[in-house]
Amino acid sequence: MSDIFENLKQAILDGDEDLVVEYAQQVIDEKIDPTVAIQQGLIKGIEELGAKWKVGEAFLPDVMMGADALKAGLDMLEPVIAASGKTVSESKGKIIVGQVAGDIHDIGKNIVGALMTAAGYKVYDIGIDQPSENFLAKAEEVGASIIAAGALLTTTMAAQKNIIEYLKTKNVREKYKVMIGGGPTSQAFADEIGADAWAETADEAVSLCRKLIAG
Amino acid sequence: MIPKFDVLTPEQVKQVHEQSMKILNEIGVEFSYQPALDVLKAKGQKVEGQRVYFQRQFVEEQVATAPAEFTLHARNPQNNLVVGGENIIFMPGYGSPFIHEVDGTRRNSNMNDFDNFVKLAQMSPNMHMTGGNVAEPNDVPDSIRHLKMVYSAIKHSDKCFMGSASGYDKAKDTIEMTAILFGGKDVIKKNPALICLVNSVTPLKYDDRMLGGLMAYAETGQAMVIASLVMAGSTGPATMAGALALQNAEVLAGIALAQSINPGTPVVYGSTSAITDMQTGSLSIGNPEGALFTSASAQLARFYDVPSRGGGGLNDAKIVDAQAGYESMMTLMAASVTGINFVLHTAGILQYFMAMSYEKFIVDDEIAGMLLRYLKGIEFSDDNFAFDVIKKVGPGGHFLTQKHTRKNHATELRQATLSDRLSYDGWGKESLDTNKRAERKWKAMLAEYQAPELDSKVNQTLQSFIEKRTSELKG
Repeated sequence: MSDIFENLKQAILDGDEDLVVEYAQQVIDEKIDPTVAIQQGLIKGIEELGAKWKVGEAFLPDVMMGADALKAGLDMLEPVIAASGKTVSESKGKIIVGQVAGDIHDIGKNIVGALMTAAGYKVYDIGIDQPSENFLAKAEEVGASIIAAGALLTTTMAAQKNIIEYLKTKNVREKYKVMIGGGPTSQAFADEIGADAWAETADEAVSLCRKLIAG
Repeated sequence: MIPKFDVLTPEQVKQVHEQSMKILNEIGVEFSYQPALDVLKAKGQKVEGQRVYFQRQFVEEQVATAPAEFTLHARNPQNNLVVGGENIIFMPGYGSPFIHEVDGTRRNSNMNDFDNFVKLAQMSPNMHMTGGNVAEPNDVPDSIRHLKMVYSAIKHSDKCFMGSASGYDKAKDTIEMTAILFGGKDVIKKNPALICLVNSVTPLKYDDRMLGGLMAYAETGQAMVIASLVMAGSTGPATMAGALALQNAEVLAGIALAQSINPGTPVVYGSTSAITDMQTGSLSIGNPEGALFTSASAQLARFYDVPSRGGGGLNDAKIVDAQAGYESMMTLMAASVTGINFVLHTAGILQYFMAMSYEKFIVDDEIAGMLLRYLKGIEFSDDNFAFDVIKKVGPGGHFLTQKHTRKNHATELRQATLSDRLSYDGWGKESLDTNKRAERKWKAMLAEYQAPELDSKVNQTLQSFIEKRTSELKG
């Protein structure tokens, strides 16, 4: 049985979504404990990948493809756990990630999402060019604790402020931690608009999640 | 001028062209602006939703109608510039939202910084024009930034400048202001006086803002740089050949659109393609791959017989240090010696376009001066061979007291304006590093700056236009 866990782990390290799906199916077919498969296989893989990335042995394509493969595996195994009446082991926290209204730049946000996933958070990526309402709607739907909004242009930064203002008008500002990022943003801007956190890099964003959720 | 060197074989240039044609035809490009889709549809291109699939012949024909070179007019005709041919045009960085100070601290850029960089570019003999958004004026409301920026460029300099391409209306405003300066839209339609920067959104997209700008400039016969920035490894393939073909497809699609709107529209083939740092995902611009993209782009533009834009004092450093210097020299030299015509971001850039630095501006100005000298090459004439002088001095003598030396050294041997060539003791009197010397220099330049005269009637008309538009845009 340890072989299948090892295989799952290795498939995450290789960023091979197809193989993860194949092994996850094997877990289901052979009635192997899915909770153990997640812990001993998928999570071990993503943790090892994260550690390799930290020391410069793994690169972004490895981490992002590993995160995609992890998600594919979890999507298959978590319903099995839920169906058996057990509770799915909690992720470290739920985060809404999106690019603000008027901004169609995708990649920075995707990197942030992948690194958060690799760090053990449950990430809901709502996509690019998203109005404030969509950030809140998704956060309410899944019970997220952090809203992370990206903006790459000086002309779209204002939309990050709009999200915060929107949360205030809906009386839910205190319910969520709002994190912002993107090229032209800065700590000063985050302070000015009343964001809870600002990160210049994806790596820093992950560290901030830890602080925000702990605090 | 020295002969320009190539990094691609003629066969490789053709291969890139073939791949780009295939991309344009089989994958297509997305245009999120209905008027642009209407233009291309009317020209018989297949449009599905916002995606346009280009016919090869159409693209080739449209690109062929773009002029090989054109004159960009300045309010002081002595500063007119020919864009294309053997010419190279240097100007400051574009679009940075931050200033990195001499000590490495960072702050938001503002209108005062914008004015200052225009002034420095006006004063520098190595900057041929003042450029466009030389420092994002974060302290001015976004709705009227374009008005303030163009006015600053007009007021503080009599060199050529760039206008806004941030949507159709803002583009129209800057064209209107330029028309006021030159005496009417007809005048600038005949003699283009404004150029803007239109960027694709890689991979294979153009957004409504940029397309609005493109259409406004094309309709009024003003010039534009149509540029693509492929980040190899993230917004494009990690393999450089594929990234180059992708960039080429995007630029050709933009040129084809501009020519469809107004045949003969002056366009510049632009590239800022560079790489992704595969550890962090950030853009990285001060590297050999970026220099190769720039050089290959100069060659592709020659193949299409249009002027080229690329390179600059490009680097990823955060402060004026050795990295800032060596990366910038590589990227600016690559652009210069492979025949790029229009070099946005020549001076001032730090941290992959994120910041401008006054000290870096001065360092790049020195690099630009060195390269302009290098590009002149070695002049051959009988007098320059100086046989008679060599004979007169003879073995064991020296040339310092020869008339020939006195007459020729200033034009032949460039005097450094920033580099320290002193002895150790000479340098040791103050022990200033490059960063500190640069700080001293820009402050001295700004203290000496004098504005070129601007006709008071023109000035008044410009100001009332700005007032009118400001109240409209804020209201």
